[in-house]
Amino acid sequence: MNIQLETKPDFNRCMERVEAWFNREIIDRAPIRFHRHNAEYDSVISNSGHASLKDRWMDAEFQAKSFLDSVKGKLFNAETFPVYMPNLGPNFYAAVHGAELEFGEVTSWCEPIIQEESDLSKIKFDKENPYYQNMHALTDAALEICDGQFLVGYTDLHPGMDCAAAWRGTENLCMDMMLAPEQVKKLMELSSRHFLEVYDDFDKKLKAAGMPSVTWMNFPVEGRLHIPSNDFSFMIAPSQFDEFALPTLQSEVKTMTHNIFHVDGKGVANHIDSILSVKEVRAIQWVQGMADDYPVMQHIPFIKYLQSGDVAVIVDLDKQDLEAFMKEISPKGIFLWVATDNKEEEEAIIKRLLTWK
Amino acid sequence: MANLESLYEAILKGNLEVAKAVTTEAIAEGIDPQQVINNYMSRGMEDIGQLFEEGKAFVPQLLMAARAMKGALELLKPHMTGAADQRIGKVVIGTVKGDLHDIGKNLVASMLEGCGFEVINLGVDISSEKFITAIRESQAQILCLSALLTTTMNYMQDVINALEQSGIRGQVKVMIGGAPVSASFARQIGADGYSDNANAAVTLAKSLLSA
Repeated sequence: MNIQLETKPDFNRCMERVEAWFNREIIDRAPIRFHRHNAEYDSVISNSGHASLKDRWMDAEFQAKSFLDSVKGKLFNAETFPVYMPNLGPNFYAAVHGAELEFGEVTSWCEPIIQEESDLSKIKFDKENPYYQNMHALTDAALEICDGQFLVGYTDLHPGMDCAAAWRGTENLCMDMMLAPEQVKKLMELSSRHFLEVYDDFDKKLKAAGMPSVTWMNFPVEGRLHIPSNDFSFMIAPSQFDEFALPTLQSEVKTMTHNIFHVDGKGVANHIDSILSVKEVRAIQWVQGMADDYPVMQHIPFIKYLQSGDVAVIVDLDKQDLEAFMKEISPKGIFLWVATDNKEEEEAIIKRLLTWK
Repeated sequence: MANLESLYEAILKGNLEVAKAVTTEAIAEGIDPQQVINNYMSRGMEDIGQLFEEGKAFVPQLLMAARAMKGALELLKPHMTGAADQRIGKVVIGTVKGDLHDIGKNLVASMLEGCGFEVINLGVDISSEKFITAIRESQAQILCLSALLTTTMNYMQDVINALEQSGIRGQVKVMIGGAPVSASFARQIGADGYSDNANAAVTLAKSLLSA
């Protein structure tokens, strides 16, 4: 790809490392992103002058300009890329089917819209939906000013079970699995029916602007990148995952070239064999969770299990665990995410990675 | 004659219809409601909770069991008089201010209710003032605080401080839960306990009541 970024002069080399990682190969060292998963939720924008949080989230020029200001003059080390992801929160996909978004400081959500079976008729995908239109505006505004500074990605899309849970409510969906399984299947079908249409719409726009394929994990590929996930599934039995979630996962990943499944904690990991049975899933992002699920060393057997299969693995860890982690595990197929405090620290880690065998 | 063992099975398997049918029979036969609750219904809830902790049952099964338990309890309530008309204890529960997550909190509420507690579920984004008002009004013995964000977990400390300032900290035990918190965090902020799942929360609540 011919992309020149002031903020990322080694862009092409880093992209090659990412592509090699997908193939579980190493060019010179394992890739590393200097970032902690979910770190973006720690910072709050203040004094934006908007009348409401909704106005702030949906102000396309403000969002693009804020991002440009945040990256200008910076240099991004290793496989940390300057990527703007237009964002209305994780329920955007549910919202463009008729749900109303509520906006908080760092995330948004929607109230369930399906109370009874007849409410299924409320689920209608609409390209004229204001959130859908705004997503185009957010993307366009970023594409206007990104040249030479940052990449623009497509938004965080959650079709499937997380979308079904947003429409129906978490507890109701759990109960439906026991009491009305056919309705759950209907809802799951609705929740993924327009996914490719939405994906392709933004993919086409971004490719036309010369962008690689990139979204919230912030590293680009040539092709069609997708990050399937199912955070809701931490609550359900493996048999329920297979019955209700697996069919939509299989259809979701079909036309993609680079699928990374986001495994958010031990509960989702209950379904790992089913997830790995989908051959299009080429990588797993393992998120070990917080509190007692931290640090990463307790999950080494699980990571080794993933490594022994045919997938690449993203591991998020604390910098103080890095040395112990590297002693326990080989770099094959590993992409590290580590939060750092400064450039010197990052350079020292990169140097160390060159000797990790 | 009412087959009370099948009531236990119905709670365990989350079968509301069977639970209600057997309970109706037990009422008609004049069986002591407290005996029905203690020996069969609570046992069903405890066992499904245990299976959940062992990874052999999942949230949908827990919710179904709690629903069956609640349905049967509703039938028994009018027949519980005097000493028998007692819930194990009163609990106020809510997700702290700034946090809108409610799945885990609601699951704990359902399990507590199913296991015999009276539960006042305040919802999400709850300020310390609201918690204090609810405790005063209900005379609850236990306060359950939930948070799912690292940015909101520290508000649990604010709630405990507010309880102390308002002079009611001694009247209520504080339990905390949620993904970012831990037993050490509970000790650090002066909470009385921490649980990492709904079944453990019931066990903890019972132990705090008897402490």
